[in-house]
Amino acid sequence: MAHTIQWEPDYGTALKKAQAEKKPILLDFFNPG
Amino acid sequence: MDAVTYPKNEVIEFLNSTIIPVRIPSDAKPLADDFNLRWTPMLVVLDWNGKEHQRTVGFLPPEEFIPSVLLGIAKIHFDLDQFGDAIKIFENILSHHAGSSAAPEAVFLKGVCGYKNTHNPTPLKEAYEKLQASYPGSEWTKRALPYRLLP
Repeated sequence: MAHTIQWEPDYGTALKKAQAEKKPILLDFFNPG
Repeated sequence: MDAVTYPKNEVIEFLNSTIIPVRIPSDAKPLADDFNLRWTPMLVVLDWNGKEHQRTVGFLPPEEFIPSVLLGIAKIHFDLDQFGDAIKIFENILSHHAGSSAAPEAVFLKGVCGYKNTHNPTPLKEAYEKLQASYPGSEWTKRALPYRLLP
């Protein structure tokens, strides 16, 4: 397993992936500084 | 989160295997408005249809992060009336993260799931007794207080 979090940067893509895999989503809103 | 929580191997492996992690900058429109973002970090657990089931605001250290996300996933199952699946995740939290802030809520909701699954009030009373014994100062112990009167 990769030793980095496989962040998905696009919400729409993540939602399609979640629906296909029946997996939950963790949405992290962060301050880009 | 970037400096302390996200570099931890157990957090990396947990996220990559359990959930689809998405990072969105706080100035991203219209998503930040759609989720009524007011402060960061804000973590939202959604089901596979994009419906929100839990949100947290503020920093979570590694020992709190995993049980918090597990609690959110359990709430998906709870909200979908999938009580058996929810109970398994609550039990995971209580077995592996009993000292976390998520644990008292897991005890409470496990009791509610047990009741909804069987219509037997015993799991509610057991939840109160467990909360009183293990987490006497928790707000969830106060919320469960009426269950002490159940037969």
